[in-house]
Amino acid sequence: MVLQVTVAHAAVRMDESELIRAAQQGDERAFEQLVRLYDQNVLRLALNLLRAPEDANDVFQEAFLRVHKNLHTFRFDCSFHTWLYRIVTNLCLDLLRKRKVRREEAAVVETGEGTLDRMDSVEETRAHGDPQRQLMSRQLKDRIQAVLADLTPRERTVFELRHFQGLRLRTIGEVMGTSEEAAKNCLFRATQKMRTALGDFV
Amino acid sequence: MNCEEARKSFPLLLYGELSFDEEERLEAHIDECAACREALARDKALWRELDSAELHPTQDLLEDARAELKSRLAAARPMRESFWDKIRDGFSIHFHFAPGLGQVAGAAVMLALGFFAARVTPGSLGGAFHAAGLAEPVTSRVRYIEPDGPGKVQIVLDETRQQVLSGSVEDPSIQRLLLAAAKDPSDAGVRVESVDLLKNEPQSAEVRQALLYALQHDPNAGVRLKALDGLKAFAEDPETRRTLTHVLLNDDNPGVRTQVIDLLIQQHDSLRQRNDAMVSVLQELMEKESNNYIRMRCQKALTEMNASVESY
Repeated sequence: MVLQVTVAHAAVRMDESELIRAAQQGDERAFEQLVRLYDQNVLRLALNLLRAPEDANDVFQEAFLRVHKNLHTFRFDCSFHTWLYRIVTNLCLDLLRKRKVRREEAAVVETGEGTLDRMDSVEETRAHGDPQRQLMSRQLKDRIQAVLADLTPRERTVFELRHFQGLRLRTIGEVMGTSEEAAKNCLFRATQKMRTALGDFV
Repeated sequence: MNCEEARKSFPLLLYGELSFDEEERLEAHIDECAACREALARDKALWRELDSAELHPTQDLLEDARAELKSRLAAARPMRESFWDKIRDGFSIHFHFAPGLGQVAGAAVMLALGFFAARVTPGSLGGAFHAAGLAEPVTSRVRYIEPDGPGKVQIVLDETRQQVLSGSVEDPSIQRLLLAAAKDPSDAGVRVESVDLLKNEPQSAEVRQALLYALQHDPNAGVRLKALDGLKAFAEDPETRRTLTHVLLNDDNPGVRTQVIDLLIQQHDSLRQRNDAMVSVLQELMEKESNNYIRMRCQKALTEMNASVESY
């Protein structure tokens, strides 16, 4: 499985630089293909960081519009993936910081047409079988959600990039414009908070 | 390693971020310490639970996001600043077309080549330069339309006029146009021609900077080779050498790398001295280079400098 993923990545990269160059020359179809290479991952990253589908969509739109506007400045000094993730994480960090100032939004909102669960456009890994296990799983997820909300925006971003996106700490440092060591320290703090808050669940 | 250090390392172990030696030391400690084994088992269980908290966007959310992006990109496209728009912004003259347009004067038609022509008229250049008069528009494009009272409409057009300019390559105004054209992302052919002309004037610092930029950043290998040609006489200049070294290690075109290594080695031969920085570059190149000719040149140069062909 790991091998397949690696091979697929290599194949993508070969086409990617050509797509970028064509898009830099104004080829809109090439730009659309470039977006398709990354749009699912960008939406997933934003969704996991922000835990709100509409915010994730806002970041998705803004990130790709910025890429479209500034692609001519991309000089292949880093990978396109790193450049794109830097834009996405910066947008998410801004939003997370704003949220720290105002109140964290509720998962359920009242609308004129009734109650709307904001997480309806999200698929979660479901616990199967045993109802007791499902209940525990639901409680644990709520707890994890609460712990994630308590992390600082930087801790949350580093944790997300490492745990769910599988990026190496060195790459996370590049994405966040910091050192590998700083990213590592951030990850330590995040995982320590997780341990403390969730230790009694496992 | 004590228990505190071991437990601090667990996240890095679980994420595969420990070095071989660090992992060995940690495993040696875990083998000896039952409490840490238990703590690691707890962390592993916690990690599995954290995996279950990952969110995946539904297909609907993804499709909606894609559709919205498509329409927003389409809306942004006509307003996107073109290369020539940026160049135009660097000049002080503004063409305000058709005074009758009143409110929309700010968006008045501005010309690309015609605009340059207006700035570099013969009078402003003092002689050596010749510009023909403004021609009729070659292409017109509707920039935007808006209602203008009952039954009326305002239409703002972008028009492009062509104008033939002629003059010496040494003329500063001609050079300025060539420098701008050397970075025109929309036409590699124009860049090749511009760099080909500019490379004969590398004594100008501005031209040399443009050549260095083209060599490092132009996506077209033909343009990079022309730029390299122009920089040959300056291979001893420290900034040029730095750029050449960077290109040697990073350019994806073997033709460009071949010319660069020939130039660097030839220049090195003329200096006839061992250069540690050069040795280190060539050793790094040996580690990553796949082209046989370049490897052979590299190996020969290292041997002549009494340096090993690999870095250890």
